[in-house]
Amino acid sequence: MAELKSAKIYGVPQLDGKYSVVLDMWPLEDPEQNRLYPFYDNMKQGRWTTTKCKKCGYISYPPVVACPNCWGDELEWIDLPKTAKVVSLTETMAGAPLGFDSPLIVAWLGFDKSHPLKHLFVRIINCQAGQLKPGDEVQFVTFEVPSIPIDVKKETKICDRVYYAFEPVKK
Amino acid sequence: MAEKKKACIVGGGTCKFGVRAATIFDMLQEAAHAMSQDIPGLKPKDIDGLIFASTTAGRNSNSLNTAPIVAHRLGIKPSSICVRVDTLCSGSNTAIILATGLIESGISDVVLVCGTEKLNLPQRWESIYMNLMTNDHDWDSAMGLAVPPPFFGMIADAHMKKYGTTKEQMGSVSVTNYAYGFNNPNAQFGGKSLTIDDYLNARTVCDPFGLNDCCPVTDGASAVIIASEERAKAMTNRPLVYIRGTGQVATHGMSAGWPGETLADWPHLKKAGEIAYKAAQITPKDIDVAQTHDCFSISEIVEVEELGFCKKGEGGAFVASGQVKVDGQTPTNTDGGLLAVGHPYGATGARQAVEICKQLQGRALNQVKNAKFGLTHNLSGVCAQHTVVIYGTEPVK
Ligand SMILES: [Zn+2]
Repeated sequence: MAELKSAKIYGVPQLDGKYSVVLDMWPLEDPEQNRLYPFYDNMKQGRWTTTKCKKCGYISYPPVVACPNCWGDELEWIDLPKTAKVVSLTETMAGAPLGFDSPLIVAWLGFDKSHPLKHLFVRIINCQAGQLKPGDEVQFVTFEVPSIPIDVKKETKICDRVYYAFEPVKK
Repeated sequence: MAEKKKACIVGGGTCKFGVRAATIFDMLQEAAHAMSQDIPGLKPKDIDGLIFASTTAGRNSNSLNTAPIVAHRLGIKPSSICVRVDTLCSGSNTAIILATGLIESGISDVVLVCGTEKLNLPQRWESIYMNLMTNDHDWDSAMGLAVPPPFFGMIADAHMKKYGTTKEQMGSVSVTNYAYGFNNPNAQFGGKSLTIDDYLNARTVCDPFGLNDCCPVTDGASAVIIASEERAKAMTNRPLVYIRGTGQVATHGMSAGWPGETLADWPHLKKAGEIAYKAAQITPKDIDVAQTHDCFSISEIVEVEELGFCKKGEGGAFVASGQVKVDGQTPTNTDGGLLAVGHPYGATGARQAVEICKQLQGRALNQVKNAKFGLTHNLSGVCAQHTVVIYGTEPVK
Protein backbone atom coordinates (compact mmCIF):
# COMPACT_ATOMS: atom_id res chain seq x y z
CA MET A 1 0.00 0.00 0.00
CA ALA A 2 1.23 3.46 -0.87
CA GLU A 3 2.09 5.67 2.07
CA LEU A 4 0.40 9.03 2.62
CA LYS A 5 2.80 11.54 1.04
CA SER A 6 2.83 13.77 4.06
CA ALA A 7 1.16 14.12 7.38
CA LYS A 8 0.74 17.79 6.47
CA ILE A 9 -2.18 17.58 4.09
CA TYR A 10 -3.67 21.04 3.93
CA GLY A 11 -7.26 21.27 5.07
CA VAL A 12 -7.14 18.04 7.04
CA PRO A 13 -5.85 19.23 10.42
CA GLN A 14 -6.34 15.94 12.28
CA LEU A 15 -3.64 14.43 10.09
CA ASP A 16 -1.21 17.07 11.35
CA GLY A 17 -1.35 15.80 14.91
CA LYS A 18 -4.13 18.19 15.82
CA TYR A 19 -7.36 17.42 17.66
CA SER A 20 -10.66 17.67 15.78
CA VAL A 21 -13.88 17.62 17.78
CA VAL A 22 -15.93 16.30 14.83
CA LEU A 23 -13.99 13.04 14.98
CA ASP A 24 -14.17 12.62 18.76
CA MET A 25 -16.29 9.74 20.02
CA TRP A 26 -16.00 10.81 23.67
CA PRO A 27 -17.64 13.79 25.40
CA LEU A 28 -15.95 17.13 26.08
CA GLU A 29 -15.79 16.72 29.84
CA ASP A 30 -13.97 19.75 31.19
CA PRO A 31 -15.41 22.95 32.77
CA GLU A 32 -14.31 25.03 29.76
CA GLN A 33 -16.68 23.09 27.50
CA ASN A 34 -19.42 21.45 29.52
CA ARG A 35 -21.57 22.50 32.48
CA LEU A 36 -22.05 18.83 33.38
CA TYR A 37 -18.35 18.49 34.26
CA PRO A 38 -19.17 17.37 37.84
CA PHE A 39 -20.56 14.14 36.34
CA TYR A 40 -17.11 13.36 34.97
CA ASP A 41 -15.27 14.65 38.04
CA ASN A 42 -17.43 12.36 40.18
CA MET A 43 -16.73 9.51 37.79
CA LYS A 44 -12.99 10.01 38.35
CA GLN A 45 -13.77 9.19 42.02
CA GLY A 46 -15.62 6.04 40.96
CA ARG A 47 -19.06 7.59 41.53
CA TRP A 48 -22.05 7.26 39.18
CA THR A 49 -24.11 10.39 39.68
CA THR A 50 -26.87 12.45 38.18
CA THR A 51 -28.91 15.57 38.96
CA LYS A 52 -32.01 15.84 41.16
CA CYS A 53 -34.29 18.88 41.02
CA LYS A 54 -34.49 20.71 44.36
CA LYS A 55 -37.86 22.19 43.41
CA CYS A 56 -39.86 19.16 42.23
CA GLY A 57 -37.62 16.25 43.20
CA TYR A 58 -37.35 14.88 39.66
CA ILE A 59 -34.27 12.78 38.99
CA SER A 60 -33.21 12.93 35.35
CA TYR A 61 -30.81 10.82 33.35
CA PRO A 62 -28.67 11.98 31.70
CA PRO A 63 -27.99 14.84 34.15
CA VAL A 64 -29.12 18.33 33.15
CA VAL A 65 -28.69 22.03 33.93
CA ALA A 66 -32.47 22.65 33.85
CA CYS A 67 -35.02 20.13 35.14
CA PRO A 68 -36.97 18.51 32.27
CA ASN A 69 -39.98 18.19 34.59
CA CYS A 70 -40.31 21.84 35.71
CA TRP A 71 -37.41 23.69 34.04
CA GLY A 72 -36.15 24.74 37.45
CA ASP A 73 -32.41 25.31 37.57
CA GLU A 74 -31.66 24.47 41.19
CA LEU A 75 -30.24 20.99 41.04
CA GLU A 76 -28.14 18.77 43.25
CA TRP A 77 -25.87 15.86 42.39
CA ILE A 78 -26.91 12.48 43.79
CA ASP A 79 -25.28 9.05 43.64
CA LEU A 80 -26.95 6.30 41.61
CA PRO A 81 -26.91 2.65 42.77
CA LYS A 82 -24.25 0.95 40.65
CA THR A 83 -25.72 -2.46 39.85
CA ALA A 84 -28.26 -3.68 37.32
CA LYS A 85 -29.51 -6.86 35.63
CA VAL A 86 -28.91 -7.74 31.98
CA VAL A 87 -32.22 -8.00 30.10
CA SER A 88 -30.68 -8.63 26.69
CA LEU A 89 -27.28 -8.37 25.08
CA THR A 90 -25.54 -8.55 21.71
CA GLU A 91 -21.94 -9.25 20.83
CA THR A 92 -20.52 -7.62 17.69
CA MET A 93 -17.68 -9.92 16.68
CA ALA A 94 -16.42 -7.79 13.76
CA GLY A 95 -17.08 -4.29 12.46
CA ALA A 96 -17.19 -2.40 15.76
CA PRO A 97 -16.75 1.36 15.30
CA LEU A 98 -13.19 2.70 15.31
CA GLY A 99 -12.07 3.05 18.91
CA PHE A 100 -14.07 0.09 20.20
CA ASP A 101 -12.54 -3.36 20.44
CA SER A 102 -14.25 -6.43 19.02
CA PRO A 103 -16.11 -8.20 20.40
CA LEU A 104 -18.13 -5.11 21.26
CA ILE A 105 -20.63 -6.31 23.86
CA VAL A 106 -23.65 -4.09 24.48
CA ALA A 107 -26.59 -4.74 26.77
CA TRP A 108 -30.05 -3.52 27.66
CA LEU A 109 -30.11 -3.18 31.42
CA GLY A 110 -33.08 -3.32 33.76
CA PHE A 111 -32.87 -1.67 37.15
CA ASP A 112 -34.37 -2.50 40.52
CA LYS A 113 -37.68 -0.73 41.30
CA SER A 114 -35.94 1.50 43.85
CA HIS A 115 -33.48 2.76 41.22
CA PRO A 116 -34.24 6.11 39.52
CA LEU A 117 -33.56 4.52 36.11
CA LYS A 118 -35.81 1.93 34.53
CA HIS A 119 -33.56 0.79 31.71
CA LEU A 120 -30.38 1.80 29.90
CA PHE A 121 -28.28 0.84 26.88
CA VAL A 122 -24.67 0.23 27.94
CA ARG A 123 -21.37 -1.22 26.85
CA ILE A 124 -20.05 -4.23 28.78
CA ILE A 125 -16.29 -4.44 29.38
CA ASN A 126 -13.95 -6.78 31.25
CA CYS A 127 -16.01 -9.63 29.81
CA GLN A 128 -15.39 -12.45 27.32
CA ALA A 129 -17.78 -13.19 24.46
CA GLY A 130 -20.27 -15.80 25.61
CA GLN A 131 -19.61 -15.14 29.29
CA LEU A 132 -22.63 -13.00 30.13
CA LYS A 133 -26.27 -14.16 30.04
CA PRO A 134 -29.63 -12.41 30.42
CA GLY A 135 -30.48 -12.21 34.12
CA ASP A 136 -26.83 -11.79 35.18
CA GLU A 137 -25.87 -8.91 37.45
CA VAL A 138 -23.49 -6.20 36.20
CA GLN A 139 -21.87 -3.21 37.89
CA PHE A 140 -20.74 0.30 36.99
CA VAL A 141 -17.06 0.60 36.09
CA THR A 142 -14.93 3.50 34.83
CA PHE A 143 -11.97 3.61 32.46
CA GLU A 144 -9.64 6.22 30.99
CA VAL A 145 -10.22 7.59 27.50
CA PRO A 146 -7.81 9.75 25.45
CA SER A 147 -6.89 13.20 26.74
CA ILE A 148 -7.49 16.20 24.51
CA PRO A 149 -5.89 19.63 24.10
CA ILE A 150 -8.07 22.73 24.62
CA ASP A 151 -6.95 26.27 23.83
CA VAL A 152 -7.43 28.42 26.94
CA LYS A 153 -6.30 31.99 26.21
CA LYS A 154 -2.65 31.66 25.13
CA GLU A 155 -2.12 28.25 26.72
CA THR A 156 -3.03 24.76 25.63
CA LYS A 157 -4.59 22.82 28.47
CA ILE A 158 -4.49 19.03 28.40
CA CYS A 159 -7.75 17.54 29.67
CA ASP A 160 -7.72 14.02 31.04
CA ARG A 161 -10.94 12.14 30.48
CA VAL A 162 -12.81 9.09 31.76
CA TYR A 163 -15.93 7.22 30.73
CA TYR A 164 -18.04 4.41 32.13
CA ALA A 165 -19.41 1.04 31.18
CA PHE A 166 -20.68 -1.99 33.09
CA GLU A 167 -18.85 -5.22 33.90
CA PRO A 168 -19.96 -8.65 35.16
CA VAL A 169 -20.25 -8.99 38.94
CA LYS A 170 -17.98 -11.83 39.99
CA LYS A 171 -20.06 -14.73 41.31
CA MET B 1 -61.15 32.28 8.88
CA ALA B 2 -60.46 31.16 5.34
CA GLU B 3 -61.06 27.50 4.64
CA LYS B 4 -58.00 25.29 4.89
CA LYS B 5 -56.50 24.40 1.51
CA LYS B 6 -55.99 20.77 0.54
CA ALA B 7 -52.51 19.34 -0.07
CA CYS B 8 -51.78 16.69 -2.72
CA ILE B 9 -48.79 14.64 -3.76
CA VAL B 10 -48.44 15.07 -7.51
CA GLY B 11 -45.67 12.59 -8.30
CA GLY B 12 -41.96 12.09 -7.87
CA GLY B 13 -38.94 9.95 -8.50
CA THR B 14 -35.72 8.55 -7.14
CA CYS B 15 -32.27 7.90 -8.46
CA LYS B 16 -30.84 4.40 -8.48
CA PHE B 17 -30.21 3.46 -4.84
CA GLY B 18 -27.08 1.56 -3.91
CA VAL B 19 -23.33 2.04 -3.63
CA ARG B 20 -23.16 5.04 -5.93
CA ALA B 21 -20.22 6.65 -7.73
CA ALA B 22 -21.88 10.04 -7.27
CA THR B 23 -22.14 13.00 -4.89
CA ILE B 24 -25.36 14.01 -3.11
CA PHE B 25 -25.85 16.78 -5.68
CA ASP B 26 -25.41 14.36 -8.60
CA MET B 27 -28.01 12.04 -7.06
CA LEU B 28 -30.44 14.89 -6.33
CA GLN B 29 -30.25 15.95 -9.97
CA GLU B 30 -30.93 12.37 -11.04
CA ALA B 31 -33.95 12.27 -8.72
CA ALA B 32 -35.21 15.62 -10.08
CA HIS B 33 -34.83 14.23 -13.60
CA ALA B 34 -36.83 11.11 -12.66
CA MET B 35 -39.47 13.35 -11.08
CA SER B 36 -39.71 15.45 -14.27
CA GLN B 37 -40.36 12.23 -16.22
CA ASP B 38 -43.10 11.34 -13.74
CA ILE B 39 -44.77 14.78 -13.93
CA PRO B 40 -44.59 15.84 -17.59
CA GLY B 41 -44.85 19.60 -17.89
CA LEU B 42 -43.38 20.33 -14.44
CA LYS B 43 -40.83 23.16 -14.69
CA PRO B 44 -38.35 24.42 -12.08
CA LYS B 45 -40.12 27.82 -12.12
CA ASP B 46 -43.39 26.19 -10.97
CA ILE B 47 -41.87 25.51 -7.57
CA ASP B 48 -42.09 28.13 -4.81
CA GLY B 49 -40.83 26.08 -1.86
CA LEU B 50 -37.97 23.69 -1.14
CA ILE B 51 -37.73 21.42 1.87
CA PHE B 52 -34.59 19.33 1.66
CA ALA B 53 -33.88 16.44 4.01
CA SER B 54 -30.45 15.12 4.89
CA THR B 55 -28.74 14.22 8.11
CA THR B 56 -25.22 13.58 6.90
CA ALA B 57 -24.85 16.31 4.23
CA GLY B 58 -22.90 18.42 6.70
CA ARG B 59 -20.61 15.66 7.79
CA ASN B 60 -20.22 13.25 4.88
CA SER B 61 -20.46 15.81 2.09
CA ASN B 62 -18.95 18.84 3.86
CA SER B 63 -22.08 20.80 3.12
CA LEU B 64 -23.75 22.73 5.95
CA ASN B 65 -26.66 25.06 5.09
CA THR B 66 -27.30 22.78 2.17
CA ALA B 67 -30.76 23.94 1.06
CA PRO B 68 -29.63 26.99 -0.97
CA ILE B 69 -27.02 24.83 -2.71
CA VAL B 70 -29.69 22.27 -3.58
CA ALA B 71 -31.97 25.05 -4.89
CA HIS B 72 -29.16 26.37 -7.09
CA ARG B 73 -28.19 22.96 -8.46
CA LEU B 74 -31.83 22.11 -9.26
CA GLY B 75 -32.50 25.45 -10.88
CA ILE B 76 -35.23 26.57 -8.51
CA LYS B 77 -35.63 29.93 -6.80
CA PRO B 78 -37.82 29.30 -3.75
CA SER B 79 -39.93 32.26 -2.61
CA SER B 80 -41.99 30.76 0.23
CA ILE B 81 -39.55 28.44 2.03
CA CYS B 82 -36.04 27.09 1.49
CA VAL B 83 -34.85 24.90 4.35
CA ARG B 84 -33.07 21.71 5.29
CA VAL B 85 -34.57 19.30 7.82
CA ASP B 86 -32.68 16.67 9.77
CA THR B 87 -34.72 13.95 11.40
CA LEU B 88 -32.39 11.17 10.31
CA CYS B 89 -34.34 8.23 8.84
CA SER B 90 -37.63 10.15 8.59
CA GLY B 91 -36.19 13.27 6.97
CA SER B 92 -38.26 13.58 3.80
CA ASN B 93 -41.40 12.19 5.47
CA THR B 94 -41.03 14.98 8.01
CA ALA B 95 -40.56 17.37 5.09
CA ILE B 96 -43.86 16.18 3.62
CA ILE B 97 -45.63 17.00 6.90
CA LEU B 98 -44.09 20.48 6.85
CA ALA B 99 -44.98 21.00 3.17
CA THR B 100 -48.56 19.93 3.91
CA GLY B 101 -48.84 22.51 6.67
CA LEU B 102 -47.41 25.26 4.48
CA ILE B 103 -49.80 24.44 1.66
CA GLU B 104 -52.88 24.05 3.87
CA SER B 105 -52.13 27.44 5.43
CA GLY B 106 -51.62 29.14 2.06
CA ILE B 107 -47.96 30.06 2.66
CA SER B 108 -46.75 27.79 -0.17
CA ASP B 109 -48.40 26.49 -3.34
CA VAL B 110 -45.92 24.04 -4.88
CA VAL B 111 -43.20 22.55 -2.67
CA LEU B 112 -40.35 20.34 -3.80
CA VAL B 113 -39.56 17.82 -1.07
CA CYS B 114 -36.30 16.02 -1.66
CA GLY B 115 -33.84 14.05 0.40
CA THR B 116 -30.46 12.46 0.01
CA GLU B 117 -27.66 10.74 1.81
CA LYS B 118 -24.16 9.63 0.83
CA LEU B 119 -23.49 6.85 3.34
CA ASN B 120 -20.81 4.85 1.53
CA LEU B 121 -17.65 6.86 2.16
CA PRO B 122 -14.22 6.35 0.55
CA GLN B 123 -13.16 4.15 3.47
CA ARG B 124 -15.58 1.74 5.16
CA TRP B 125 -14.52 2.54 8.74
CA GLU B 126 -15.90 6.05 8.41
CA SER B 127 -19.34 4.86 7.26
CA ILE B 128 -19.61 2.96 10.56
CA TYR B 129 -17.89 5.61 12.67
CA MET B 130 -20.12 8.39 11.32
CA ASN B 131 -23.14 6.69 12.89
CA LEU B 132 -21.72 7.48 16.34
CA MET B 133 -22.75 11.06 15.57
CA THR B 134 -26.38 10.17 14.80
CA ASN B 135 -27.28 9.13 18.35
CA ASP B 136 -26.96 10.98 21.67
CA HIS B 137 -23.22 11.35 21.34
CA ASP B 138 -22.11 11.88 24.94
CA TRP B 139 -24.36 9.16 26.37
CA ASP B 140 -25.43 6.34 24.04
CA SER B 141 -22.80 6.70 21.32
CA ALA B 142 -19.96 6.64 23.82
CA MET B 143 -21.32 3.21 24.79
CA GLY B 144 -20.67 2.07 21.22
CA LEU B 145 -24.13 2.69 19.83
CA ALA B 146 -23.31 3.42 16.19
CA VAL B 147 -24.81 1.32 13.40
CA PRO B 148 -28.16 0.00 14.62
CA PRO B 149 -28.02 -3.84 14.28
CA PRO B 150 -27.06 -4.49 17.93
CA PHE B 151 -29.95 -2.38 19.25
CA PHE B 152 -32.54 -3.86 16.90
CA GLY B 153 -31.11 -7.31 17.62
CA MET B 154 -32.15 -6.74 21.24
CA ILE B 155 -35.60 -5.62 20.04
CA ALA B 156 -35.90 -8.91 18.12
CA ASP B 157 -34.75 -10.84 21.19
CA ALA B 158 -37.39 -9.09 23.32
CA HIS B 159 -40.15 -9.78 20.77
CA MET B 160 -39.17 -13.44 20.46
CA LYS B 161 -39.20 -13.87 24.24
CA LYS B 162 -42.42 -11.97 24.94
CA TYR B 163 -44.53 -12.96 21.92
CA GLY B 164 -42.91 -16.13 20.62
CA THR B 165 -41.89 -14.59 17.29
CA THR B 166 -39.65 -16.92 15.29
CA LYS B 167 -36.65 -16.56 13.00
CA GLU B 168 -38.77 -18.03 10.17
CA GLN B 169 -41.40 -15.31 10.65
CA MET B 170 -38.69 -12.65 10.48
CA GLY B 171 -37.41 -14.39 7.36
CA SER B 172 -40.81 -14.12 5.71
CA VAL B 173 -40.52 -10.31 5.93
CA SER B 174 -37.16 -10.37 4.11
CA VAL B 175 -38.30 -12.90 1.49
CA THR B 176 -41.51 -10.92 0.80
CA ASN B 177 -39.75 -7.57 0.51
CA TYR B 178 -36.96 -8.89 -1.72
CA ALA B 179 -39.70 -10.35 -3.95
CA TYR B 180 -41.44 -6.95 -4.07
CA GLY B 181 -38.14 -5.24 -4.90
CA PHE B 182 -37.16 -7.73 -7.60
CA ASN B 183 -38.68 -5.73 -10.48
CA ASN B 184 -37.84 -2.29 -9.01
CA PRO B 185 -35.10 -0.87 -11.26
CA ASN B 186 -33.99 1.66 -8.62
CA ALA B 187 -33.71 -0.84 -5.75
CA GLN B 188 -30.26 -1.64 -4.41
CA PHE B 189 -31.23 -5.34 -4.54
CA GLY B 190 -33.38 -5.10 -7.67
CA GLY B 191 -33.22 -8.37 -9.60
CA LYS B 192 -32.08 -10.27 -6.50
CA SER B 193 -34.35 -13.05 -5.29
CA LEU B 194 -34.21 -14.50 -1.81
CA THR B 195 -35.52 -17.84 -0.60
CA ILE B 196 -36.13 -18.77 3.01
CA ASP B 197 -33.18 -21.18 2.77
CA ASP B 198 -30.90 -18.38 1.49
CA TYR B 199 -32.14 -16.31 4.40
CA LEU B 200 -31.55 -18.97 7.04
CA ASN B 201 -28.07 -19.77 5.66
CA ALA B 202 -26.87 -16.15 5.39
CA ARG B 203 -23.92 -15.08 7.51
CA THR B 204 -24.69 -13.72 10.97
CA VAL B 205 -24.49 -9.95 11.44
CA CYS B 206 -25.33 -9.97 15.14
CA ASP B 207 -27.63 -12.29 17.00
CA PRO B 208 -30.40 -13.02 15.93
CA PHE B 209 -29.84 -11.22 12.62
CA GLY B 210 -28.41 -12.67 9.45
CA LEU B 211 -27.40 -10.51 6.50
CA ASN B 212 -30.93 -10.35 5.02
CA ASP B 213 -32.55 -9.15 8.25
CA CYS B 214 -30.78 -5.81 7.84
CA CYS B 215 -31.21 -3.07 5.26
CA PRO B 216 -27.97 -2.32 3.41
CA VAL B 217 -25.77 0.80 3.52
CA THR B 218 -27.15 2.92 0.71
CA ASP B 219 -26.51 6.13 -1.23
CA GLY B 220 -29.50 7.71 -2.92
CA ALA B 221 -31.83 10.63 -3.46
CA SER B 222 -35.54 11.10 -3.98
CA ALA B 223 -37.86 13.97 -4.88
CA VAL B 224 -41.63 14.57 -4.77
CA ILE B 225 -43.95 17.48 -5.45
CA ILE B 226 -46.48 18.47 -2.79
CA ALA B 227 -48.94 21.06 -4.09
CA SER B 228 -52.29 22.67 -3.41
CA GLU B 229 -55.28 20.89 -4.97
CA GLU B 230 -55.70 23.67 -7.56
CA ARG B 231 -52.06 23.59 -8.64
CA ALA B 232 -51.98 19.79 -8.61
CA LYS B 233 -54.99 19.69 -10.93
CA ALA B 234 -53.22 22.05 -13.33
CA MET B 235 -50.06 19.93 -13.29
CA THR B 236 -51.40 16.43 -13.90
CA ASN B 237 -54.23 14.51 -15.56
CA ARG B 238 -53.85 11.64 -13.14
CA PRO B 239 -56.25 11.07 -10.21
CA LEU B 240 -55.35 13.35 -7.31
CA VAL B 241 -53.80 11.89 -4.18
CA TYR B 242 -54.50 13.85 -0.99
CA ILE B 243 -52.54 14.02 2.24
CA ARG B 244 -55.28 13.23 4.76
CA GLY B 245 -53.49 13.03 8.09
CA THR B 246 -50.08 13.05 9.72
CA GLY B 247 -48.54 12.25 13.08
CA GLN B 248 -45.06 12.49 14.51
CA VAL B 249 -44.21 11.42 18.04
CA ALA B 250 -40.82 11.83 19.71
CA THR B 251 -40.41 10.55 23.25
CA HIS B 252 -36.69 10.47 23.89
CA GLY B 253 -33.27 10.81 22.32
CA MET B 254 -31.32 8.60 24.68
CA SER B 255 -31.93 5.03 25.80
CA ALA B 256 -32.80 5.87 29.44
CA GLY B 257 -35.98 7.52 28.11
CA TRP B 258 -37.27 4.45 26.21
CA PRO B 259 -41.08 4.67 26.52
CA GLY B 260 -42.03 0.96 26.37
CA GLU B 261 -42.24 -1.64 29.12
CA THR B 262 -39.89 -3.76 26.99
CA LEU B 263 -38.03 -3.15 23.73
CA ALA B 264 -40.78 -5.13 21.95
CA ASP B 265 -43.38 -2.47 22.77
CA TRP B 266 -43.38 0.78 20.81
CA PRO B 267 -46.11 2.98 22.37
CA HIS B 268 -44.72 6.04 20.58
CA LEU B 269 -45.51 4.45 17.20
CA LYS B 270 -49.00 3.45 18.37
CA LYS B 271 -49.62 7.07 19.35
CA ALA B 272 -48.26 8.52 16.07
CA GLY B 273 -50.57 6.17 14.17
CA GLU B 274 -53.60 7.08 16.27
CA ILE B 275 -53.00 10.80 15.69
CA ALA B 276 -52.68 10.28 11.92
CA TYR B 277 -55.74 7.98 11.69
CA LYS B 278 -57.83 10.49 13.63
CA ALA B 279 -56.80 13.36 11.35
CA ALA B 280 -57.42 11.19 8.28
CA GLN B 281 -60.82 10.09 9.65
CA ILE B 282 -60.12 6.43 8.97
CA THR B 283 -59.09 3.35 10.96
CA PRO B 284 -56.22 0.88 10.45
CA LYS B 285 -58.50 -1.58 8.62
CA ASP B 286 -59.13 1.07 5.92
CA ILE B 287 -55.47 1.11 4.87
CA ASP B 288 -55.16 -0.64 1.49
CA VAL B 289 -51.37 -0.35 1.14
CA ALA B 290 -48.58 0.65 3.54
CA GLN B 291 -44.90 1.50 3.41
CA THR B 292 -43.49 0.89 6.88
CA HIS B 293 -39.92 1.33 8.06
CA ASP B 294 -38.44 -2.14 7.60
CA CYS B 295 -34.87 -1.18 8.53
CA PHE B 296 -34.79 -4.69 9.99
CA SER B 297 -37.13 -7.63 9.48
CA ILE B 298 -38.27 -7.37 13.10
CA SER B 299 -39.16 -3.69 12.59
CA GLU B 300 -41.93 -4.51 10.11
CA ILE B 301 -43.33 -7.12 12.52
CA VAL B 302 -43.58 -4.60 15.38
CA GLU B 303 -44.92 -1.92 13.02
CA VAL B 304 -47.87 -3.91 11.66
CA GLU B 305 -48.85 -4.46 15.29
CA GLU B 306 -48.47 -0.90 16.57
CA LEU B 307 -50.11 0.55 13.44
CA GLY B 308 -53.13 -1.67 14.18
CA PHE B 309 -53.04 -3.94 11.12
CA CYS B 310 -53.10 -6.90 13.53
CA LYS B 311 -53.22 -7.45 17.30
CA LYS B 312 -50.18 -6.69 19.47
CA GLY B 313 -47.93 -9.73 19.58
CA GLU B 314 -49.36 -11.27 16.41
CA GLY B 315 -47.13 -9.44 13.91
CA GLY B 316 -44.98 -12.51 13.24
CA ALA B 317 -47.96 -14.67 12.30
CA PHE B 318 -49.50 -11.78 10.34
CA VAL B 319 -46.51 -11.36 8.03
CA ALA B 320 -45.81 -15.08 7.72
CA SER B 321 -49.42 -15.83 6.71
CA GLY B 322 -49.07 -13.53 3.68
CA GLN B 323 -51.22 -10.64 4.94
CA VAL B 324 -48.54 -8.19 3.76
CA LYS B 325 -48.45 -9.62 0.24
CA VAL B 326 -50.12 -7.84 -2.64
CA ASP B 327 -53.38 -9.82 -2.26
CA GLY B 328 -53.24 -9.89 1.55
CA GLN B 329 -55.05 -7.75 4.12
CA THR B 330 -52.49 -4.91 4.18
CA PRO B 331 -49.88 -5.13 1.41
CA THR B 332 -46.75 -3.63 2.93
CA ASN B 333 -43.51 -2.31 1.43
CA THR B 334 -44.71 -3.02 -2.07
CA ASP B 335 -41.68 -1.48 -3.80
CA GLY B 336 -39.23 -3.60 -1.77
CA GLY B 337 -38.99 -1.47 1.35
CA LEU B 338 -35.76 -0.52 3.04
CA LEU B 339 -34.63 -4.15 3.02
CA ALA B 340 -34.52 -4.42 -0.78
CA VAL B 341 -34.50 -0.81 -2.02
CA GLY B 342 -31.95 0.38 0.54
CA HIS B 343 -32.07 3.20 3.06
CA PRO B 344 -30.33 6.52 2.38
CA TYR B 345 -31.90 8.06 5.50
CA GLY B 346 -33.22 11.42 4.27
CA ALA B 347 -34.31 9.98 0.92
CA THR B 348 -36.46 7.15 2.25
CA GLY B 349 -39.68 8.97 3.23
CA ALA B 350 -40.07 10.59 -0.21
CA ARG B 351 -39.31 7.24 -1.87
CA GLN B 352 -42.16 5.68 0.12
CA ALA B 353 -44.42 8.60 -0.83
CA VAL B 354 -43.70 8.03 -4.54
CA GLU B 355 -44.77 4.39 -4.17
CA ILE B 356 -48.00 5.28 -2.32
CA CYS B 357 -48.78 7.97 -4.93
CA LYS B 358 -48.39 5.39 -7.71
CA GLN B 359 -50.45 2.80 -5.81
CA LEU B 360 -53.32 5.23 -5.28
CA GLN B 361 -53.17 6.27 -8.93
CA GLY B 362 -53.25 2.60 -10.04
CA ARG B 363 -49.83 2.59 -11.72
CA ALA B 364 -47.48 0.82 -9.31
CA LEU B 365 -45.25 -2.08 -10.38
CA ASN B 366 -46.78 -4.35 -7.74
CA GLN B 367 -50.24 -2.81 -7.93
CA VAL B 368 -52.72 -3.35 -5.11
CA LYS B 369 -56.19 -3.64 -6.60
CA ASN B 370 -58.39 -0.59 -6.13
CA ALA B 371 -56.20 1.07 -3.46
CA LYS B 372 -57.92 4.10 -1.89
CA PHE B 373 -55.95 4.70 1.30
CA GLY B 374 -52.18 4.46 1.77
CA LEU B 375 -49.83 4.96 4.71
CA THR B 376 -46.13 5.72 5.07
CA HIS B 377 -44.14 5.31 8.27
CA ASN B 378 -40.59 6.00 9.34
CA LEU B 379 -38.82 5.51 12.60
CA SER B 380 -35.72 7.55 13.22
CA GLY B 381 -32.60 7.03 15.25
CA VAL B 382 -32.64 4.00 17.47
CA CYS B 383 -36.41 3.94 17.41
CA ALA B 384 -36.64 7.32 19.15
CA GLN B 385 -39.22 9.03 16.92
CA HIS B 386 -42.08 7.83 14.70
CA THR B 387 -43.57 9.60 11.69
CA VAL B 388 -46.80 8.57 9.95
CA VAL B 389 -48.47 10.09 6.87
CA ILE B 390 -51.81 8.90 5.47
CA TYR B 391 -52.87 9.47 1.86
CA GLY B 392 -56.21 9.01 0.13
CA THR B 393 -57.86 9.36 -3.25
CA GLU B 394 -60.41 11.71 -1.65
CA PRO B 395 -59.69 14.61 0.70
CA VAL B 396 -60.90 14.68 4.32
CA LYS B 397 -64.38 16.18 4.24
ZN1 LIG C 1 -38.06 20.01 38.58
